[in-house]
Amino acid sequence: MKQTLHIFAKDVRRFWPEILISLTITAAFAWLYPNQWLPMRLSASPPRMTNQLISLLPLLVPVSWWLLISRLIHAERLVGNTQFWLTRPYEWKKLLAAKLLFLVLFLYLPIFIAQCLLLVAAGFHPLSYLPGLLYNLLIITGIIVLPLVALATVTSSFARMTLTVLGILCGIAGILILSSYVNMEPFTVPYEPSYSLALVLSLCGAAVLVQYAFRKVWLARLLLIAPPVLFICISEFIPGSSLSLIDRTYPCPASTAGAPIQLSYGPDALHQPKAYQARRANEVGIDIPLKLSGMGEGFAVVPDGVQISIESPSGPRWISPWEPVYMTDYLPEDKDSNVNFTMPRAIYDELKSTPFSVRLTIALTQVQAVNSTRISFPAHEFSVPDFGICAPLQWMPPLAGIICHSPVRQPPLASVSVLWSNTPCSASQTEPGTVVQGVGWIGKLDPDAVPFGIVPVWEFGFILTNEFQDEHREHPRYLCPGSPVIFTRYKLVRRAQTSLAIQDFHLPALQ
Amino acid sequence: MNPTIHTESLGKQFGRTVAVDGLDLTVPEGAIYALVGPNGAGKTTIIKLLMNIFSPSAGHAEVLGIDSRRLAGKDFRRIGYVSENLEMLEGMTVGAMLDYFRPFYPAWDRALEEQLIRQFDLPLKRKLKHLSRGMKMKAAFVSSLAYRPSLIILDEPFTGLDPLVRDELIEGLIERAPETTIFLSSHDLAEIESFSSHVGYLEQGRLLFSEEMSVLSDRFREVTVTLSSPSPLPVNLPASWLQPQTVDCVVRFVHSRYKDQATAREVTAIFPSARDVSFDPMTLRSIFLAIAKSNRGAAPSTSHQTTAQERVA
Repeated sequence: MKQTLHIFAKDVRRFWPEILISLTITAAFAWLYPNQWLPMRLSASPPRMTNQLISLLPLLVPVSWWLLISRLIHAERLVGNTQFWLTRPYEWKKLLAAKLLFLVLFLYLPIFIAQCLLLVAAGFHPLSYLPGLLYNLLIITGIIVLPLVALATVTSSFARMTLTVLGILCGIAGILILSSYVNMEPFTVPYEPSYSLALVLSLCGAAVLVQYAFRKVWLARLLLIAPPVLFICISEFIPGSSLSLIDRTYPCPASTAGAPIQLSYGPDALHQPKAYQARRANEVGIDIPLKLSGMGEGFAVVPDGVQISIESPSGPRWISPWEPVYMTDYLPEDKDSNVNFTMPRAIYDELKSTPFSVRLTIALTQVQAVNSTRISFPAHEFSVPDFGICAPLQWMPPLAGIICHSPVRQPPLASVSVLWSNTPCSASQTEPGTVVQGVGWIGKLDPDAVPFGIVPVWEFGFILTNEFQDEHREHPRYLCPGSPVIFTRYKLVRRAQTSLAIQDFHLPALQ
Repeated sequence: MNPTIHTESLGKQFGRTVAVDGLDLTVPEGAIYALVGPNGAGKTTIIKLLMNIFSPSAGHAEVLGIDSRRLAGKDFRRIGYVSENLEMLEGMTVGAMLDYFRPFYPAWDRALEEQLIRQFDLPLKRKLKHLSRGMKMKAAFVSSLAYRPSLIILDEPFTGLDPLVRDELIEGLIERAPETTIFLSSHDLAEIESFSSHVGYLEQGRLLFSEEMSVLSDRFREVTVTLSSPSPLPVNLPASWLQPQTVDCVVRFVHSRYKDQATAREVTAIFPSARDVSFDPMTLRSIFLAIAKSNRGAAPSTSHQTTAQERVA
């Protein structure tokens, strides 16, 4: 302990400028960041430049840690053979303990205090969210601190560490570019962050221990490099490697009757298949109308991904990769919807004049309403249980919205439904004449896992005014004070695949 | 008495490069052992193997009775290590560095520290990064001698120092000699000749010989044979005759196994017409130059090292 404190004291004396920089940035973050939150931003209206600087603070905090960690670890660097401490009575456990103590006091404690202050500024009591805050620190450890410490232990200086980090970032960018070239928008299954976190903590922790205990640089580097590279190679470049994961996450029900929703091909006068130019020149987007049925009351279904299989007696057989589905949900009252996918233009050109069979396989998430909170669209800040603190936004009437702050984690998945009025709100209006229901989804389905965040307050807002356009002009719809706003919280029921076969399908002409 | 340092077949390879090859070395307690050899001979590698900075590829070493691979933490309370290329706490002042190291060593002798500071005239308030190379070495010496280590290991400690600083450091070192064992490496023979008790000669990772300085001095003689008439060198001269050469009636060589009467008889037997034979003691520098030149003159072969060892051991 004595040696630990002695090394710690030396580091504090030696690195006070780095400590000061890090503490200053963290303090500025805690003090200034609440100005970023929308109601305050609107009321105070700080200069645009200031706002941009403030928004950089959550990024500057880890950058200051980068410097701090590099200087701290490289003070007794583990790479090389000319360091003074190698032939002094240093005990590696005490050296490591000194470094950890330094990080606890000058990295973890400041950010913990900053996060508590931000919670207070957002109207939450930090003690009520202590487990979440601590778990968030663990995630920060896994995503930022431990990887930086591990990199510092396998490099000899700040410059080399910086080059390594930049190299890693370039590598990741390269893999993403290569991956997007292979598959434009890869569909990823919902993953368990805790597994990834445990893996990162284990690998980085092992590399750090190997370095401090044995100074086996290549072994430590291998521990850091090999598993991620192997994982990326398997998941990105071995065809079909992710399929079993999708099948495991979205199992096929024994029969179509067991599916969470019944889908059928449903063209009618209003809903017809469409073909359009996709983002890539050599691809065509196809939109297929669907009829929905069989959803129980209180349930909703969210389509996550879609795969298309085309079989033609005269032509090629084509199976698309899994593609993600965005911004779509099926509610019990929905009878019509659509699904879209992209296909290579060459296949489109070859098949457009021939009828063929197409099979749509859709990965679905079924959710069930747990409880609802009904409020009247208020004039002031209001609290939504299990959700956070929300406030109305009306900065450009008739545009209206709600901004919510959720503590530590994203809120659970919820639908927010409102009744819009087609006519402007007026003092005399107590009942909207013509009302239209609007629904939006917010939050995450797996809220138990605290997502990573330097900022412990999740801010999300949604515009509640629905402007729609016809051929001539925009028609605003209004959300009037007193209108009902219903927050309905949902829980995960299951994930499953369902498929739909369409015989004699004709590809529509390109629009 | 247990040796302070003992190695058996110690080897170190970096890739395909053999840095140290089958080193058998014993440094007795209380010795001032100088490991000498040309640049790149493997001296620093051996020291780093002894200090557990490198792991051996073969064989093993013991330092103060501890397997070098286990040397760690508290073991270094008994070892002082100074190297020409050792990184120091450059941002600290000399005083702060000594303050920092002091608590690591229960046996730190404050009086000795102050004595050494005075002796070396060290500026305590100057930062190490602002010190000259000589001053830095002095500071390193103080921080490695003040706890009266049982073993002092010095890797090329005097390289690049001016003679005055070198003499000051040697003086400080000699004062510690009665209570410690000193193992130092150098490629400058003159600087270690005056105070070393033992010497080992390393070349291309192999120890050509290792013995007490007095024995070495006794063993090597520069032999001058004056013949009655000029004659060519006989073939098949003994392997222990290094660099034989003849000029007119005079034959000169270095004898590496000199034994008074026996050597005189051996010379007379090979040169029956010798009018006069003289055996002159040699300086360490002359001995090593003879060894080095002799090894360079030998035909390169797979048995080169063995041959070299046979000639000089």
